[in-house]
Amino acid sequence: MASLTIDNVKKRYGQTEILKGIDISIEAGEFLILVGPSGCGKSTLMNSIAGLEDVSEGRILIGDNDVTYASPKDRDIAMVFQSYALYPNMTVAENISFGLEMRKVPKAEREAEVQRVADMLQIGHLLKRKPGQLSGGQRQRVAMGRALARRPKMYLFDEPLSNLDAKLRVEMRTEIKKLHQKLGTTIVYVTHDQIEAMTLADRIAVMKDGEVQQLGTPQEIYDNPTNLFVAGFMGSPAMNFIPAKVVEQNGSYALELQASKPTVVPFPKPESLKAYAGKEILLGLRPEMITEPQPHKEGKEFVVTADIDVEVTEPMGADTMVLTRISEAEVNCRCNPAYPAKADETIAMMFDTSKAVAFDKDSGKRIDN
Amino acid sequence: MNNNAAKAGSGATQAGRPARLSLADWMPKIVMAPTAVAAIVCIYGYMIWTAVLSFTNSRMLPTYNFVGLDQYERLFMNDRWLVALSNLGVFGGLFILTCLFLGVMLAIFLDQKIRAEGAIRTIYLYPMAISFIVTGTAWKWLLNPTNGIEKMMIELGFEDFRFNWLSDPDMVVYCLVIAAVWQASGFVMALFLAGLRGVDSEMIKAAQLDGASIFTTYRRIILPSLKPVFFSALVILSHIAIKSFDLVAALTNGGPGYSSDLPANFMYAHAFTRSQIGLGAASAMVMLGCVLAILIPYLYSELRGERHE
Amino acid sequence: MSNAAKRQTSTLDKVLRVVLYAALLAMAAVYLAPFIVMLLTSLKDVEEIRSGTLLSLPGSLNFDAWSKAWSGACTGSQCEGMAPYFLNSFQIVLPAVAISTLLGALNGYVISHWKFKGSDVFFAALLVGCFIPFQVILLPMARTLGWLGIANTTTGLVMVHVVYGVAFTTLFFRNFYQSIPVELVKAARLDGAGFFTIFYRIILPVSTPIIVVTVIWQFTQIWNDFLFGVAFSGFDTQPVTVALNNLVNTSFGGKEYNVDMAAAIIAALPTLVVYILAGKYFVRGLTAGAVKG
Repeated sequence: MASLTIDNVKKRYGQTEILKGIDISIEAGEFLILVGPSGCGKSTLMNSIAGLEDVSEGRILIGDNDVTYASPKDRDIAMVFQSYALYPNMTVAENISFGLEMRKVPKAEREAEVQRVADMLQIGHLLKRKPGQLSGGQRQRVAMGRALARRPKMYLFDEPLSNLDAKLRVEMRTEIKKLHQKLGTTIVYVTHDQIEAMTLADRIAVMKDGEVQQLGTPQEIYDNPTNLFVAGFMGSPAMNFIPAKVVEQNGSYALELQASKPTVVPFPKPESLKAYAGKEILLGLRPEMITEPQPHKEGKEFVVTADIDVEVTEPMGADTMVLTRISEAEVNCRCNPAYPAKADETIAMMFDTSKAVAFDKDSGKRIDN
Repeated sequence: MNNNAAKAGSGATQAGRPARLSLADWMPKIVMAPTAVAAIVCIYGYMIWTAVLSFTNSRMLPTYNFVGLDQYERLFMNDRWLVALSNLGVFGGLFILTCLFLGVMLAIFLDQKIRAEGAIRTIYLYPMAISFIVTGTAWKWLLNPTNGIEKMMIELGFEDFRFNWLSDPDMVVYCLVIAAVWQASGFVMALFLAGLRGVDSEMIKAAQLDGASIFTTYRRIILPSLKPVFFSALVILSHIAIKSFDLVAALTNGGPGYSSDLPANFMYAHAFTRSQIGLGAASAMVMLGCVLAILIPYLYSELRGERHE
Repeated sequence: MSNAAKRQTSTLDKVLRVVLYAALLAMAAVYLAPFIVMLLTSLKDVEEIRSGTLLSLPGSLNFDAWSKAWSGACTGSQCEGMAPYFLNSFQIVLPAVAISTLLGALNGYVISHWKFKGSDVFFAALLVGCFIPFQVILLPMARTLGWLGIANTTTGLVMVHVVYGVAFTTLFFRNFYQSIPVELVKAARLDGAGFFTIFYRIILPVSTPIIVVTVIWQFTQIWNDFLFGVAFSGFDTQPVTVALNNLVNTSFGGKEYNVDMAAAIIAALPTLVVYILAGKYFVRGLTAGAVKG
């Protein structure tokens, strides 16, 4: 196990800068997830960590070793690819032991290691087959086995589950989580699936345009996104952004929304709004914070009930998503399926702004302190 | 595409920073080096060399007395060269058209769920496996004015049948066409058959539901979608025509007289047997010009096509 | 549609299909005829050739022309038949095919999986080599072979065929390797394998189809070559095509068409055998060569 330090790493292809100075550092045993839209540079960053691409500037350290210019084989990193990249001409056992063979591990040890990995991943019965004879899920396991066999300092996972069907993906996700807990390995994991990101990560780095927008624990990212991009990217359905006017109320500041009538809601950090008094900001409120009126929350601080115009309802089983319109914006509310919200009608909803965040309309940054 | 750009770029950034100085990193370049050197010297270097020779008055041995465009002037005053060029026009034009026509026709015929298609295809294509020298030898015998097809037809009762093109300076070039078409038309058939098999079958079904007859479906839907195949076949056939040398050598040896010479034979004769290196080099450059005139638009459209994808 | 109309169209269809088969078989006969005539002629004696026609059958199976073509016919001033030149061709073809295929495989591997600055430009430049009329390089190449002291040798011809064949082999392998995912090479690099190990252990084992296509293509091209053979070979190093042409054009005494035809078939035999045994790969090579971009 080793820690990973990425220090001001830049990567240019000719004129275009793909990575614009990435700083990330994680502890040994930590599970880091890189998320971001395609083209954000997350794959380039992975390849740079692995040594498959050269960086233009900056340093990469694994443990205390500067590996910026080390070749891939000297970094002691294993990688699981989206396409699995199993060697088609070798059996599963040969695939798993190839890396050991390259490192001149004696045959007996290799065989023992293949057996250990096969037991751990329950692929013992597949060892003599070729990749072409395996199902997608089995290939995925073999690809993980190949990475595990070498017991490297660090694992890189490049969207390893995205080629699996939904059910298998959930199973493997749990399996990866268990493996991580059991082995305590350092993992860097690229995904665009935010549920994977939330469930697996110790920390998440949200990337966009070659920059890390925010690095933090899943809960930090979820509750305190630093800007509109992060707020909109993580969470499904996405966080609601409701235009709101900052108003002075009893010597403090609150936010005025246009529900079916103008409604004033309190804000957890009113003093931070001072500079925006009289101006419009964007109120960030997760859908689960706008619900049907719940008696046990009635009268609590930061809870306000107001009538809203309903546009569409989308039953999802456990909840019903109610799409409403507030201050000209589409706003998702997560309601109990029993709540009789109907399209084109107006109905009462309860706003809980205890976890609300506010964003500057122009810069998109979160308004803090 | 993205990946390619990425990889090409990674080399570009290497210059400005400490390189990993291991042999492994140089391996790709070391491996490519022999081919690269050979290509630079033996393709581009020699092309320039020949160009240089074409501006000299070299005869038996290369000399470097530059005479400007004299050799080109001589070339285009030379009756044998003009015959060779006009032969190339006639031969090339007829060869390409006939091959395309036969190839398309046979491909369409074979595409009708024919029994024993494999065997028939094998028969159409086998001439492509043999040398033009063998083809020339065979057709020289078949077209022989006294013993060949003519004699056979007379014995069959067509007393007045005359087929002496091989010894007729005005007709001999058509003998070249016949033999070359026999050799290459099966190849065009194979190209088009592969193209036909690649046509989206749902498109054909749609056309049939729209009420199009088989004939209309081919003419309006299928053949237009094979435009790229037409284009490559055209380029390959014209390439074969311009480079044609062995067929003439074996079938007519340029004769009677020099009435069936093609530019390639003219070049060889002057450069290697008639000690006219300068003139031979000039004719080679004209041939290169012809090939480039066909190739550049083709490559241009191919590359543009790739970018569209 | 009424029953009568249905029957009518199906009769029409039947007639059309008969016509279609007739046309296809007639064309097949046309393509086969020259070879059959060659074969028949090679089995006749001179007298039968003079008295009969192209398609008349020989009175008896007579292999004299074949043995003369193989070991006694005169090609120019030599009268040793085709045998020595047949062997010359193998001496030229085998090393030339082996070397150009190996180089093509390595080049294709680099161009598709170890790109470096300029490797794409190199590839484009090499592609031009597939197209140039070889007349442009004949004179300089003749001088170069002279300087290297390998003019008029089979070694010289091997070199020429390798140099001008490698453009094609590289193209074939590059197009094939382009379809191997880059992740495979990345995974192997992380596993600690180097340039040649990856080539030998990962890439080569999946290359069999393209190796077959390339070998067949190169074999056919080089065996059938005449231009380089006639320009760069000496009397005793001629490939079989040049010898055949000399044999046919040698005019001592009467014309022996039966010997000419036997010699022609001998010269065509190796590529025909390859075509019949591996026609599928041969066609694949032709079409791959056709879409050479």
